[in-house]
Amino acid sequence: MMCSFIRLRKVAKAGLLGLGFLFSLALQAQDDGFKAVPILTGSTAYFTRVTAGQYQDAPTVSPLLLLPFGDKWLVEAKGSYSDTFSKNAQGDYNGTISYGMAYAQIDYIANRYMTFVAGRFTTPFNIYGERLAPNWIRALQTGPLTSPVTSGSGLGGMMRGGFPGTESLNVTYALYFSSNNTHHLLATDRSTGGRLGFFLPRQGLEVGASFQQVLQADRPHSSGVFLEWQPNRAPLTVRSEFVRSSGTKGSAYWIESVYRLSQIPSLRRLELVGRGEQFFAASNLSAATVKKLGALGKDTNEGDFGMNYYLRSDIRASASYGRQFVLGRNANLWTVGMTYRFLMPMLPQGGAR
Amino acid sequence: MKVKFVLAAFLVASAMSLGLMANASGGSKDAAKDSSATPVSAEQSAQNENMRLEGEKRFRSNCGRCHAAPPKFPPRMMATIVRHMRVRATITDQDMRFILRYMTE
Repeated sequence: MMCSFIRLRKVAKAGLLGLGFLFSLALQAQDDGFKAVPILTGSTAYFTRVTAGQYQDAPTVSPLLLLPFGDKWLVEAKGSYSDTFSKNAQGDYNGTISYGMAYAQIDYIANRYMTFVAGRFTTPFNIYGERLAPNWIRALQTGPLTSPVTSGSGLGGMMRGGFPGTESLNVTYALYFSSNNTHHLLATDRSTGGRLGFFLPRQGLEVGASFQQVLQADRPHSSGVFLEWQPNRAPLTVRSEFVRSSGTKGSAYWIESVYRLSQIPSLRRLELVGRGEQFFAASNLSAATVKKLGALGKDTNEGDFGMNYYLRSDIRASASYGRQFVLGRNANLWTVGMTYRFLMPMLPQGGAR
Repeated sequence: MKVKFVLAAFLVASAMSLGLMANASGGSKDAAKDSSATPVSAEQSAQNENMRLEGEKRFRSNCGRCHAAPPKFPPRMMATIVRHMRVRATITDQDMRFILRYMTE
C-alpha cells in the first residue's frame, strides 16, 4: 500500500516536471518567424430548447487548450461541461451536470504533407464531427441525424495531411487506428478507418468519402460521402453528408444551406439556415433491438430552419425551429440562445511579436 | 519528503524560467531584425500585394467554408491558431503559410 503510494507520488512529480518542461518548450515554438504561444480558446453557450413540449436550459462551456512546442509539435486538449436544467412533472427545474473530454491529442508535423496524431481524437469521418460540431461554428444547434451512426471518438494514432494535387486541386487524407476503451467518460471502439477529400478552391467545392471498420462485437462498418460548396458569386454555403452502416445503426443523410444576407447593409450580420435530413433504421431489427437502439430504431424525417445573427465575429445569437417526423410521434424542436467564442494567450507577452 | 517536494518544485521552476529566458532572448533578436528593416522597392511592394491577395483568397476559401471570418489576432497567437487549423481542417502547408502571412500583416 505504502509502496504504491510512493510510486504514485513519483509519477505525479515526473508528470509535473514533464509538464513544466513541455511548457518551457512551448514558449519557444516558432512558425514562419513568429513564435507560437500557448493559448486558451473555446466557447461558451446558453441555449433554451423546447423539444416536444419539454423545456431545457443548458449553459455550456467547452475550453480548448493549445500548447505548441518546437516548430512541429502541438498539444490540443478540449473538454466540455454543461448543466442541463429541465422541468419535471411537478413543474420544478432539475439540473443534470455532464462533462467530457472531446479530444486530448499530441500532433507532430512530420513534413509538409503529413502530420502524426496520438491520443484521444475525433474520428475523421466526413465533415461534421471534426469541423462543424463546435457550437460557435455549427449553423443549427440541433445535431444532424447522421452523428450517432458512426463512432465519434478514437484512442490511438492517426496520420493526416493535405497537399496540392494540381494548381487548382488540394487532396486531403486521414487514416487512423483506435483501441477499445471502456471508461465511461472516454469510451471508444476498437476501430480503423479514414477519409479522403478533394478540394477545388476555384470552384469553392470540396467532395470526399470516409470509411470506418469497427473491430469488435459484431464488427459493423460504415461508409460515407460528403460535399461542401461555396459558389463564388453568392454568400451561400451548401453542405451535405451521407452515411451508411452495415450493422444495426441504419443510414442517414442531411443537406444544409446557409445564406448570409451580406448584400443588404442593414442585415449583413444575419444568416439564414435550412436543413433537411432523413434517417433510415436498419431493416429486420427485432423488437428488442429497436427498444435498445431508441431513436436509431425508427425511421425519422426532419426539417429545420434557423437564423444566426453575428453581434460580433465571436458573439452570435441563434434561433431555430425544426419539425421531426418519427413513426407515431412527431415533435417540434425550438432552440434559442447565444454562443461566445473566446480566445486568450496563456502568457502576458503572448500578444507581442 | 519535504526536501523532495522542494527539489521537484525547483526543477519545474527552472525548466519554466529557462523557457522564459529563451523566449525573451528570441524577442530581442526579433526587435533587432525589425530595426534593421530597409525601405521596400516598388517591385517588392507589388510582390507583397500579390501575396496579400493570394493569402486573402486562401483564407476565405479555407477558413470561410466552416465559420465566420475571425478578426486578426496578434501574430504569435495567430501562429498557434493556424497550426491548430492545419491539423484540424487538413489545410495544406502552402495554404497555411499564405494564410499566416495574410493574417499577420
